[in-house]
Amino acid sequence: MENLHLFGVGLGLGLIVIGAGLGIGRLAAAAAEGIARQPEAADKITGAVNLPLFLLEGVAILAEVFALLIVLMK
Amino acid sequence: MSATAEQDHTAGTSVLDQVGDNIIHHVSNSSLDHPLIHLPHFFGIDLSVTKHVLMLWVVAILLACAVIIPVRRYMQKEKAIPSGWMNALELIVKFFRDSIIKPNIGSKYSETWAPLILTLFFFILFANGIGLLPFFDILGAVNRFAFHIPASDNHNFINSLLHGGVTATGNFNVTAGLAVITFFAIIIAGTRAHGFIHHWKNLVPTGLPWPVYIILIPIEIIGMFVRPFALTMRLAANMTGGHIAVLAILSFMAIFAEMFNSTAIGLSLALFSIPMAIAISGLEIIVVLVQAYVFTLLSAVFIGMAINVHH
Repeated sequence: MENLHLFGVGLGLGLIVIGAGLGIGRLAAAAAEGIARQPEAADKITGAVNLPLFLLEGVAILAEVFALLIVLMK
Repeated sequence: MSATAEQDHTAGTSVLDQVGDNIIHHVSNSSLDHPLIHLPHFFGIDLSVTKHVLMLWVVAILLACAVIIPVRRYMQKEKAIPSGWMNALELIVKFFRDSIIKPNIGSKYSETWAPLILTLFFFILFANGIGLLPFFDILGAVNRFAFHIPASDNHNFINSLLHGGVTATGNFNVTAGLAVITFFAIIIAGTRAHGFIHHWKNLVPTGLPWPVYIILIPIEIIGMFVRPFALTMRLAANMTGGHIAVLAILSFMAIFAEMFNSTAIGLSLALFSIPMAIAISGLEIIVVLVQAYVFTLLSAVFIGMAINVHH
């Protein structure tokens, strides 16, 4: 039973991937739709999508770092 | 990259026990017990040069050769027509000025903060990129096989270079230092634009009922520290993550060879491991560029938020 933290980390990593994947997927879908409707606004849409994309990625990376910390520190 | 080869030589303990330590050893800083250059303690701080400090110096020298000296020489010319490398530099600088600094910071202060943002970008880009080049491993191989110096020789300088990772930005201390620069830049930018007291007042919107402020003021103060913290974690974790993934996939060869007790299975796993490692290395090239871009973009956004207050 002493290795239960590894079980939790594995589960948590999966949840991180689901969350980040859903978020990035929704962002990319909305951006693609917007560009398809208005191709001339592609630059503006890409610029507007970039910032939330990186903030989202930052949250996912933070969660991964804490998962790694759980493994290393027990 | 030499992780799997080393594991096979050390018999006794199980491979699975060694893989984790080996991976951490290949991405973390070299140990303070065996620094590259011994320096005395100042005020209780050990100033010995470890590998990441050395890599920071290498990056600084590279930046001086690749950016500072060409730009200085170009500015001294009478006819200012860029050519060759200067063209590429101008392209990057112009892209940053027009699509990051001006939209976020505004044209009034863009000249003030462009040097900081561009310095951060070039420094992080070079420090990230140098982590992809395995030249210390090649130096170590030359040392081992051409000059016949054994790996156990701790006093050999090139042997001590083999300890630890080469990506200085994969170290949380380095990125924390860079994020602290951004943290103070935000405060200085707000102070220069609005005055010292007004900058702190700008953190929260005015004209709300007073119970809202009890919640809002702590949130804004936490947010002030969370932003540089997120910058620190994002850059360091991204730079470390790619290396860990490559090493973990290469370690499959050693792990499976031990699990099934046959070298053939381990070698046949190379058909899977090596293409995957190459693919992740290719992905790393994109990550290196994107992370340097993200750090500077977010720095510019945060500085711009302190200057152009939307309340």
